[in-house]
Amino acid sequence: MESSLRTRSSWLAYSEPQISHDEVFLPDGEVRAHWQYLLKSLDSLGPDVINDRERKAWRILRDDGATYNDYAQPMAARSWAIDPIPLLLQSEDWASIESGLQERAELLNLVLKDIYADRQLLRHGIIPPEIIYSHAGFLRPCQGLAIPGEHQLIQYAADMVRAPNGSMRIVADRSQAPSGTGYALENRTVMSRVFPSLFRDSHVHRLSLYFQRLRAKLTELNPGSDIPRIVMLSPGSYNETYFEQAYLANYLGFPLVQGGDLAVRDGYVWMKALDGLRRVDVILRRVDDNYCDPVELKSDSQLGVPGLLEVIRMGRVAVANPLGSSVLENPALLRYMPDIARFFLGREPLLESVATFWCGDPRDREHVLANLGQLVLKPTSRAANIQSVLGAELSQQGLNDWRNKILQQPYLYVAQEYLQPSSLPVWQNSEFQPRSAILRSFAVASGSSYSVMPGGLTRAGLAQGTALISNRLGSVSKDTWVLASEPEKQLTLRSEPEAAVQPQAWDRLGVPSRVVENVFWVGRYAERSESALRLLRTVFVELHGIEPLPPASYPMLLRAVTHLTATYPGFVTNDGALFANPEPELLAVASDRHRTGSIASSLNALLVAADEIKETLSSDMQRIINDIRDQLVQLEKDLTQGMTAAPEAALDPLVTTLLALSGLAQESMMRGVGWHFMEMGRRIERAWQTISQVRSLLVPVVSNRDEEVLLEANLLSAECLNSYRRRYNGQMAIANGLELLLLEPANPRSLLYQLETLEAHIDELPAEAGQQGLPSYSRLVLEASTLLKLSDPLALAAHDGADSVRTNLDLLLARIQQLLADTSLAIADRFFDHGDGPQPLLTESWEGST
Amino acid sequence: MNYRVRHTTRYRYSEQVSQCHSLTHLLPRDTPTQRCIESYIDVQPLPVLGNTRKDYFGNRCYHFTVQWPHVLLEVTAHSRVAVDDYRPGLGLDFGISCAQARTALHQSNDLTTLEAREYMLESPLVRLGAELADYARPSFDDDRPLLSAVRELVERIYRDFSYDPVSTTVSTPVIEVFAHRRGVCQDFAHLAIACLRSLGLPARYVSGYLETLPAPGTQKLVGADASHAWFAVYSPVEGWMDFDPTNNTLAEHQHITTAWGRDYADVTPLKGTVFGGGEGHSVEVEVDVERC
Repeated sequence: MESSLRTRSSWLAYSEPQISHDEVFLPDGEVRAHWQYLLKSLDSLGPDVINDRERKAWRILRDDGATYNDYAQPMAARSWAIDPIPLLLQSEDWASIESGLQERAELLNLVLKDIYADRQLLRHGIIPPEIIYSHAGFLRPCQGLAIPGEHQLIQYAADMVRAPNGSMRIVADRSQAPSGTGYALENRTVMSRVFPSLFRDSHVHRLSLYFQRLRAKLTELNPGSDIPRIVMLSPGSYNETYFEQAYLANYLGFPLVQGGDLAVRDGYVWMKALDGLRRVDVILRRVDDNYCDPVELKSDSQLGVPGLLEVIRMGRVAVANPLGSSVLENPALLRYMPDIARFFLGREPLLESVATFWCGDPRDREHVLANLGQLVLKPTSRAANIQSVLGAELSQQGLNDWRNKILQQPYLYVAQEYLQPSSLPVWQNSEFQPRSAILRSFAVASGSSYSVMPGGLTRAGLAQGTALISNRLGSVSKDTWVLASEPEKQLTLRSEPEAAVQPQAWDRLGVPSRVVENVFWVGRYAERSESALRLLRTVFVELHGIEPLPPASYPMLLRAVTHLTATYPGFVTNDGALFANPEPELLAVASDRHRTGSIASSLNALLVAADEIKETLSSDMQRIINDIRDQLVQLEKDLTQGMTAAPEAALDPLVTTLLALSGLAQESMMRGVGWHFMEMGRRIERAWQTISQVRSLLVPVVSNRDEEVLLEANLLSAECLNSYRRRYNGQMAIANGLELLLLEPANPRSLLYQLETLEAHIDELPAEAGQQGLPSYSRLVLEASTLLKLSDPLALAAHDGADSVRTNLDLLLARIQQLLADTSLAIADRFFDHGDGPQPLLTESWEGST
Repeated sequence: MNYRVRHTTRYRYSEQVSQCHSLTHLLPRDTPTQRCIESYIDVQPLPVLGNTRKDYFGNRCYHFTVQWPHVLLEVTAHSRVAVDDYRPGLGLDFGISCAQARTALHQSNDLTTLEAREYMLESPLVRLGAELADYARPSFDDDRPLLSAVRELVERIYRDFSYDPVSTTVSTPVIEVFAHRRGVCQDFAHLAIACLRSLGLPARYVSGYLETLPAPGTQKLVGADASHAWFAVYSPVEGWMDFDPTNNTLAEHQHITTAWGRDYADVTPLKGTVFGGGEGHSVEVEVDVERC
């Protein structure tokens, strides 16, 4: 076995020749020492087992809802892809990378402080002024801002590749709001579950310390004296790394908020919680700095908090990374890092950057223009419309365009030497295939220096020879294992005391009211979808029953579908053709997601609301949400192909999954505010749907035969037909039906049950300060349940003969429905944020100019 | 000469504004030829917070937050400013040549010059363009003194462009002003800046006021004055020098400087964010400049 690993003959060796420095294999095919153990283990597992583990890894990622969103296709979240072969880094190799990164972070911290203070680097001619002045990340309103402590740069990330000589080179610095730590953590979690013993025996440095340090550092930034209230500011669920934000917020125990969840009042930043405003002390931001405050920065931003900058200036809130830090991402700085290191530290930097030429420098420009076709071309500021390109891949026209751009404003462009990155094996088609790799490592300010996450996030190109690797272009990620030189080291890490357990920010901040609002709507949409599914299923069954339906029942059943889903006009029409061929309309009500009220649109709304509360979902809950997403796609596929033999069967899986969702809510949700709101949403919706159904099926007076069919359909769809038969010996009578559907407190689908449960949840809501007597929503529900309890099923069933309606029943139900609508509004008014969004105070006309 | 300036801005909203965060550039700064003796800002409704600070460019800006619901916001800046009457003889025709200025700009390690390079670059409202460089170039012979060339550019803009208060808005790009040959003082300032920067020369935007005198025999009307804008050019030898293309003149003792920056966006008199306010609002501005 040992010998087979040392030769190209092993099935783990590449089938194609190596073209660059390889992480695993020496040029002669021999396996590097620190990979021996892993390869031996993989060798003994064999390809089938590795394939199996890979599938398991993907399954876990899918269940966790791990995605990387694409702005261009918001509904098509891409699953985060992981490769089962980690990147291994040996201890000594890592030690030099680590100290290089620490030094780099310290240097950039000094640069950042300097740029927003007196700009010594510029005064002393260390860097040309245009590098700062022309960069989009140089935010002039941030001049003089400082957060408490030595460090301004809190989190730092570097993208690195290994050069042909084996040394690591920095390709890019990330200082804005570096993403990737959460994906690295998720990758680690997955790998340790998929290869538990291999992971354990490999003595891999742990990642958790990094996050403890991050939390400790954020705590230190607290401008106040109390325990800090920390939030994580997200651009929202359409952001490409939203999964990671939700994942990290959960892991770190900070509420995940969006700009609209925060407000500046009285000179402080506050979070809009359910019961009012709560002070915020520290903001870990994932929103780009220029978007953070429309008052002083990008004026039309909807992602920020108006007035934030002035609160930072007053020292009443700390933001990490500080606003303005993206100026460090200018790749032109790579060109000057050695000069900067000499200026600040008096020595050469430990880590080299990839050779970079700044076109603002005349000699560099000359070199770049003469070698456009061999270089990687980049704008100095990241812009949506200009990406990095490989000169070699450009047409003559493309090269000319770049040449012109560079000549017009040379200081806005850099070029980098194209470095063939080292390769490492990716598991594809049951074998090792060599791919270029890039490593992103992370550092967090800690004590007097920086603490580097051991390892980081490795990404490999999708195809061999992929030159530029980015998440947007598609890549596969890998866990990165820094191997401890000896097992003891592992122990010392483990025995390092956990950071003092802190009261969770959740307790002190609660959740933003936006989250609670979405929880409420998850409840409503889940119930709305379920009711519609049940009714539709019943209608399909009745339509395809053995006996033909009596004449009145047929249109009434169809109309009930329209009423319940509010997909008007639908069957609320006299169009005979529609009744002659109802199937297209029924299918549209089921699966046309562009039709408001359809099952597909309700489920879609449910998914959108669930995305907004991602960080509050348990992993089981997340799994069910994933199932709903898949089944919705399946439903659309099944039903657009036309009516199948038993269309009701296509609806069954969704009903089951929705039941699982409500079961989980009962069994595993904390009985906190969120749970109460989800339940209230559910109860209001189910009460509403129950009423809709009874009003459309049982209020009109029709023949006895029809009434039997309609009552049966109503009972069936409310899942109490069997109870009814047992209880009333199969005697179909409207009054009995109403008793069971509306008034039976023991029936969990009866209207009374919904109202009483709703009352119980409402009692648990936080009271408003200075509230006298009952709040409005309590009064409304109390009135509804009292009206219902005082009613008599016989009186409700009474009517004035054929072709009339049950007036008592209809009036009562209409009134209750109105009360429910008012309750929902009253709850929204009291607890949800319906303030207008910010708008810029713009003056289009030149002010009284001369 | 001492001036008293009152600058009132009124915003009327169609619906109630619940909160307003604002940033103003209304307090005159000190300059080598001007001292602000006194200045303060009145805001109605009363702000819950107000802070004055120096911004990146050294201007004095005032932040305020109003938390009372309101449909009318009134902001008035009151200032007293002393402007030097006498300025040392300006030898526009004797200074550093255009060619020398360009070389010095790229080679000098003098701090002021290094910092002036910021004003050679594009800025939010000032885009560079070959047409603009072509337009300006005839005045900028290599051997000609830089300030004399700028003076000529100012004269040409005055001659070639018409003053037209309805043809442009804040968002009209300079290149359109250039194409249509009309605009107001802010447009002409931006245009001159764009011309100079397109030639590789540093220029900045200056906002302020101009004393206007009533027609002979008439009484000056209250609120009849207006805010004004011009530009300054940087010469590595003579330093910053102000020119007013709208009035075809140097900006001297009748010009009262409020603030400067790369362009209007850096020194907008009043900007901010409101919550509520409905669709659109109206703005009313009154300015009085009087000797005191």
